[in-house]
Amino acid sequence: MQPRKVLAVDDSKLVLKMYEVMLRDYAVVTAADGVEALTRLAEHPDVDLVLLDINMPNMNGLEVLDTLHAQGRLPGLAVVVVTTEGGEGEVARGLGAGAAAYITKPFDGPNLLGLISGLPARSQS
Amino acid sequence: MSEPGGSQENPRMDLASGIGAELVEELRTTLEKAAALLHVLESNLQHVPPQPDGASGEQRTTELEKRLERTESDVAELASQLSVSERQTSRLMNLYVATYQLHATLIGEEVEDTIAEIAVNLLGAEKFVLLLKADEGAGHRVALARGIKPGEHPLYDGGVYAQGDPMVDAVLADGVLRLGPFAGSPALAAVPLKVQGEIVGAIVFLKLFDHKPSLRTEDRELLDLLSAHAASALFAAQAFATKERRLRTLESLVKLARGE
Repeated sequence: MQPRKVLAVDDSKLVLKMYEVMLRDYAVVTAADGVEALTRLAEHPDVDLVLLDINMPNMNGLEVLDTLHAQGRLPGLAVVVVTTEGGEGEVARGLGAGAAAYITKPFDGPNLLGLISGLPARSQS
Repeated sequence: MSEPGGSQENPRMDLASGIGAELVEELRTTLEKAAALLHVLESNLQHVPPQPDGASGEQRTTELEKRLERTESDVAELASQLSVSERQTSRLMNLYVATYQLHATLIGEEVEDTIAEIAVNLLGAEKFVLLLKADEGAGHRVALARGIKPGEHPLYDGGVYAQGDPMVDAVLADGVLRLGPFAGSPALAAVPLKVQGEIVGAIVFLKLFDHKPSLRTEDRELLDLLSAHAASALFAAQAFATKERRLRTLESLVKLARGE
């Protein structure tokens, strides 16, 4: 398993707390919306995995993905969309915007951990 | 481990997150040992030296094959136990985080937000209402309604639930959690909120997200948790708000008496 620094982005304190507990073997940075997520990424350039919610205030997850894509950051970042939006259109939009994976809430902890540990390490851009 | 600017360390989190972790680690270690043993056995089988007595060599091969079979069976059993333990740990983690967040604040609105977050993120509820006993008079006020369009569930329109859904009415009357289907009710589940035996409200689940076809067995534990802890967290928040109001009133009176 590659050591990773994870940025968890969600406007739910409950979900952020779940990530903290679940990802105790990883360094975890948190953000409550898209704008804060971009700030955290600038502060922590060694983040190589982002768990990203879609429905958030200020800037939603798809806008974050578009921004990262425009900044050329996505080759160095694995982004996993974790959201309640489970429609085919939303999934296609998320993956089309550059997400490495798309999972719906409520998520299964062991499955999410398996997905994270199975993601290939990416080179920093 | 959290970064500066990120989340804070909490000893209580470590305590709860360690629930089952030791068991999982033990199982993983045993599984690895079993795999190593299997590898050795397979290697031994391939390198069995020719025996002077043909019959005893055959017996040894048979014995080794039996041991290999037992080891393979043990490996499968341990893998199954590991999977069960991981799921158990995940389930306990959900319960811990839900309880932690419910009691992390004394502000009523934040407790209600946490109830909504549990309903959405842990149970997969798209449409639900939180009913709380009205301060004055009969009936219940709709403290929280999520995902419901105006007119979709008229019983909850106007911020007040009088009566009318048989499942909800039964739950508010006897305080017993009920899961649908229930004759005459569109609700999937109705969870009573109880504090010291008194029924102070209910959470009514009306629809799950399309990708969550139904409530699962493990969801029942979360519903039970909500029934007990959501009510006590709301009760604590109300008590705190009342105390704060009284304190401010007393402070005002003291200032008045001093002529400030």
